[in-house]
Amino acid sequence: MRVELEDLLLSRGPFTLRGSGTFEEGVHLVSGAVGSGKSTLALLLAGLLHPGSGAIRRQGVSSTLLLLQFPEYHVTSPTVAEEAGSWGLVPDDVLARADLADRGDDDPFHLSRGELKRLILACTFMRDPDLLMLDEPFSSLDCAAKQKACRMIEERGRGITIIFSHERAVLPRVDAIWEMEGGILTALGNVPGAIPRWRHAPPYLAYALDRGARPENIRLEDAREAICRIQG
Amino acid sequence: MQDPRLRLLSTVVLSLAAFASTMGAVVALVWWLVFTPRTKALPRPGVLFSLTAMIALTALVSAWGGGPGLSYFIRMVVVLLLAAWAYTETEEGEVLAVAVWALGKRIGFEIGLIAEMGLTGLLVIRQEIDQARVALALKGIPIGARSIVPIAVLLIVTQIRRADEVARLLVVRGYALGGRICPRFRTDPRDILASVSAVILGLLSCFPVRDVFILLG
Repeated sequence: MRVELEDLLLSRGPFTLRGSGTFEEGVHLVSGAVGSGKSTLALLLAGLLHPGSGAIRRQGVSSTLLLLQFPEYHVTSPTVAEEAGSWGLVPDDVLARADLADRGDDDPFHLSRGELKRLILACTFMRDPDLLMLDEPFSSLDCAAKQKACRMIEERGRGITIIFSHERAVLPRVDAIWEMEGGILTALGNVPGAIPRWRHAPPYLAYALDRGARPENIRLEDAREAICRIQG
Repeated sequence: MQDPRLRLLSTVVLSLAAFASTMGAVVALVWWLVFTPRTKALPRPGVLFSLTAMIALTALVSAWGGGPGLSYFIRMVVVLLLAAWAYTETEEGEVLAVAVWALGKRIGFEIGLIAEMGLTGLLVIRQEIDQARVALALKGIPIGARSIVPIAVLLIVTQIRRADEVARLLVVRGYALGGRICPRFRTDPRDILASVSAVILGLLSCFPVRDVFILLG
């Protein structure tokens, strides 16, 4: 299972997106500043936008799903339970997973943005597609919910998961890192080799690298462990 | 047409003429062909098709009941073309400026503000329909009668909620009645030609011209 980008090019007004590379099975993090083109790339990979030139080839991918940055854009039903049902899932299971068991009859727009994000995150993970793309999955979430989202990503255990995020505090264990800057997508490679080349690395990783530590992955605990190792 | 006052005048006069008679509609259509960017001022094909289909359906029902179905179809399609042109050409703030220019800082501002909010609402609805299409596509739900009803309900509820939020925001910012703006308009010589033509054509199509010529003779 893989997704190949071949000389991808999309121009919209003054903005141009370019990228090449292959997303293999595993968890990929596409990091970059706000406005760098991450969401546009996500829409391209989901087939919701079409490139001006170049190609996206999906091999062995039979189902694709994109979590949009703004959870309210997913809502198509008048109640929380019906919204969960509109994803083709059993509402009670979704509500339990999203910690919203007693909110089934509520209007989705009466949920806080964090609650709505939890609901949509639960729906996307329970659909379990081959290619799952998460556009800013941690935005609007509190620390505990971010950690829970990280666990869901790590426990997925199959298919291709691509996280598009500028998050620099709570991150999951990933297999590969990509950078997006000014519309240019750059593959940094697999973790841990890619970590020293990562210019958008969170401060705790930069600190660990400065101290001469070599973290195994990109989580805070990986940086801590690496520092502990060199300090004995 | 740059001057929104002349654009509004032309639209109103020609729409009335088109609505009043088939001859008026033909005259308005000729004006539309001469003075507007024509196809560039049309709504998206899907929207145009739906609106035209609704008009055609009503016309068919009218014709079936012995009414002037074809005439109704021609008249309403021309009104639709004029409305589409006026909507496409209108820029943000222009309706407020025209209302204040015409009716003053109190009533004019109120009417202008409501109209501006209505136009913004149309734009927001268009964006929300696009978002709903994407959401349905991601969920794998085909767009059909079963999906359109909940989406329509959602759009209406969202619009009511947004209107309430805007009203509260205006109150928080101290809005009570009226306001002060200094509307400025740019008038191109072609605008004057187009609007004078619209008024003349509109009047000629509404009045019994043959009688006028008999009187003159």
